[in-house]
Amino acid sequence: MLEIKDLHAKIAEDGTEILKGITLTVPKGEVHAIMGPNGSGKSTLAYVLAGRSDYEVTSGDILWNGESILEMSPDERAGKGVFLAFQYPMEIPGVSTMTFLRTSVNATRKKRGQKEYSTPEFMKVARAAALHLGVKDDMLKRALNVGFSGGEKKRMEVLQMALLEPTLCVLDETDSGLDIDAIRIVSEGANKLRGPDKAMLVITHYQRLLNYITPDKVHVLAHGRIQKTGGKELALELEKTGYAEFTGKAA
Amino acid sequence: MTVAIIKTKAEQGIVADFAAHAQRLPGDAATGKTRTEAMAAFARAGLPHRRVEAWKYTDLRVALKAFAPIATGDQAQVSAADVDEALGSLAAIDADRLVFVNGCYRRELSTPKPQVNLFTLGEVLRSGGALPALKTDEAVVSLNGALATDGAVIDIAEGEKLAKPILVIAIAAGASAQLTTLRHAIKLGTGATATVIEAHVTLTGAAASQSNSVLEISAGDAAGLTHVLVGLEGNAATHIETIAATLGARTTLNSFQLTASTGLARNQMFTRFAGEHAKLDISGLMLGRGRDHIDTTLVIDHAVPHCESRELFKAVLDDTARAVFQGKVIVRPDAQKTDGKQMAKALMLSEGCEFDSKPELEIYADDVVCGHGATVAEIDPAMMFYLRSRGIPKEEARVMLIESFVGEALEKIENEKLREVLSEVTRIWLSARQA
Ligand SMILES: Nc1ncnc2c1ncn2[C@@H]1O[C@H](COP(=O)(O)OP(=O)(O)O)[C@@H](O)[C@H]1O
Ligand SMILES: [Mg+2]
Repeated sequence: MLEIKDLHAKIAEDGTEILKGITLTVPKGEVHAIMGPNGSGKSTLAYVLAGRSDYEVTSGDILWNGESILEMSPDERAGKGVFLAFQYPMEIPGVSTMTFLRTSVNATRKKRGQKEYSTPEFMKVARAAALHLGVKDDMLKRALNVGFSGGEKKRMEVLQMALLEPTLCVLDETDSGLDIDAIRIVSEGANKLRGPDKAMLVITHYQRLLNYITPDKVHVLAHGRIQKTGGKELALELEKTGYAEFTGKAA
Repeated sequence: MTVAIIKTKAEQGIVADFAAHAQRLPGDAATGKTRTEAMAAFARAGLPHRRVEAWKYTDLRVALKAFAPIATGDQAQVSAADVDEALGSLAAIDADRLVFVNGCYRRELSTPKPQVNLFTLGEVLRSGGALPALKTDEAVVSLNGALATDGAVIDIAEGEKLAKPILVIAIAAGASAQLTTLRHAIKLGTGATATVIEAHVTLTGAAASQSNSVLEISAGDAAGLTHVLVGLEGNAATHIETIAATLGARTTLNSFQLTASTGLARNQMFTRFAGEHAKLDISGLMLGRGRDHIDTTLVIDHAVPHCESRELFKAVLDDTARAVFQGKVIVRPDAQKTDGKQMAKALMLSEGCEFDSKPELEIYADDVVCGHGATVAEIDPAMMFYLRSRGIPKEEARVMLIESFVGEALEKIENEKLREVLSEVTRIWLSARQA
C-alpha cells in the first residue's frame, strides 16, 4: 500500500512550495489516476515519489508497504519496487540501450537479492519483452533515447518498467505523444503489471488513457492539493467540463 | 628587444649532461655536429614558457624542475611478458610490434613485417647514415634533434595497403628516471594505407620517464593513415610529443590521441595540407586526475583549397587536474572552400580542476566554412537522477555518464577492435577513481 500523508514539498533551489499537503492512499491491487491542469504539480509529485533531489520535502511522509521511503536514494527506492515512467525521458548519448537496460536490471536484482542475469540470458529476456511492446531490435542497439521519437521514448519507458518488475508504478503522462495504436500497446504493457501485490498511479491530462487502463479511483490535483476524488466516471466528467472548476484562485 | 633570461636549473643541467655524454649518442661525426648545433639552438631558446604564446598554459620553465639524465642506450632486462604487462589492455591489439626500451630499439621484442620497409633510426645512424636535421623554431624539437637515440622509420611504398597495424611501443624501464628521445618517421607513397599506433607506457615497478618524441608524417597523394597515440606513462611521467604531418592531395589522416593520467603531457601536432581534397580528422581524450596536466595543441595549415579538417577533443578532469586545448587553424589566401570544424569539451568532476581552451582562427580566404566551440560541464543531475531511478547506484551511474561523455570521441575510431581496446583503457582509468 502506498500512503502519502500531508505531503509538502518545495523546489530546493528557490524555496517555492509546489505540493501543499497531499494525502492519498493507493491500496495494493488498485490503480489510481491523478488528473489535473498543467502546472498543478503532477510531475512534481511523481518526482518526489522517485526521490529527485531538486525537491525538498518539508513535512509529511510517503510510506510504501508501511515503510517510509523519504530518506532513501532513488536507486534504493527502485530496489524497493518504485518505478517512475518519466514524462520526458532523458537521452543518454554513447550508452547503448541494451547496456543500460542490463546494468539497470542487474543492479535492481542485486538489491532485491535476486540472481543477476548473464549477458546472453539478459539479451533473451530483453528481446522478448521488447517484442511485446513493439520495440525494434535496432532500438536496443542505439544510444538510450537518442534520436527516438516521442512515442519510441514512451515505449522504452514501459519496456524498462516491464523489465524492472516494479511493485509501485508511477506513469507520468505516458500517453502524451502517442497515437491510438501506441496507447493500446503501452496500456497492454501496463495492464500486465497490475496485480494483487502491486499499486499503480497513472498521471494523465486527458481521459483517453483511462479507457485502456481502468482506474479504481480518480483524484484531481490542482494548486498542489487533491481537490476531488471519485470513481472512474469522474474522469469522463472532467473530459466534458474541463478543469475550469479547479483552475481558479487557490483556496 | 631581447631580455637576458637566467637559465633554469633544468636548462643548465641538460646542457652540461649533453656536453658530458654526447659521444655516447649514436652516429658519425657529421651527426655529432648536427646534434651540437641542435643543442646550441635549444640552449639559445631555452625551455618554452608562458610568454611564448603557444606555451601560455604549459610553462615548461616552471613545470620541469630538472631533466632526468639523458638516455644513451642502456639495456634493461625486459621480456615479452613484461611488455604485455606494461601495455595492459593495449596488448590485445593485433599488430606488428616495434618495441623501444628507454629509447632503444629491441629486436628480440619486436615483430616487424619483412615485406614492409621498416627500419630504425638507430640502425641508420650506426651504419653511418645521417640524422636528418630539423628546421624548427620549437625548442623541444631542437632538443629532440640533439638527443634522439632511435625511432621507427616506416616507409609504405606506393599503392601498398598494410592490413595489419604497426604498434610502436615506447617503454620506460629504468630503476631511475631517464630523458628518452625518439624520432619516428612515417612515409606513405601514393595510394598507400596504414595504421600506426604509438603507445607510451611504463614498465611495472620502473621509474616513469621524461620523453620528448618527434614524429614526422609525410603522406603522398590519395594515401590513408590512421594514427593512434596513447599515453599511459603514469602520473610521475613527463611526455612531450611533436607531430608534424604533411598531407598530399585526396589523402586522409585520422588521428586519435588518448592521454590518461600522465603527470605532465604536451602533445602538439602541426598538419599542413599540401594537396587539395585532403582530410584530417583528429580527435582524442584527455583524462586527468590528481595534479595531472595534459595539453593538446593543434595547428592546422590549410595551405591549399578544398581541404577538410575536423577536431574533437574531450577532457575528463578530477581533483586539481588541468587540461589545455589549443587549436589554431590557418586558412591561406588561396585556400578557398576550406571546411574546418573544431570542438573541445570538458567534463569537470571536481571544483579544483581546470580546463583552458583557446581556439585561434586565422582566415585569409573568403569562401570558407570554419567553426569552433568549447563547452565545460559537470555531470548532469537530471541524467544522474534518471539512471538512479532505474536502480543504478550512484558511482556506477557516474561512470556510465562519464562513458557517455567520452563516447562521442571514441566513436571516431573506425576500427572496431581498436575502439574496443581504447574504450577499455578509458573504463579502467575511470574505475581506478575510488581510492
Ligand atoms: N525544478 C523546478 N524548477 C522550477 N520550477 C518548477 C520545477 N519543478 C516544477 N516547477 C514548477 O512547479 C509547477 C508544477 O510543475 P509540474 O509538477 O511539472 O506540473 P504538471 O506536471 O502538473 O504540469 C509549475 O509551475 C512548474 O513550472
Ligand atoms: Mg507534468
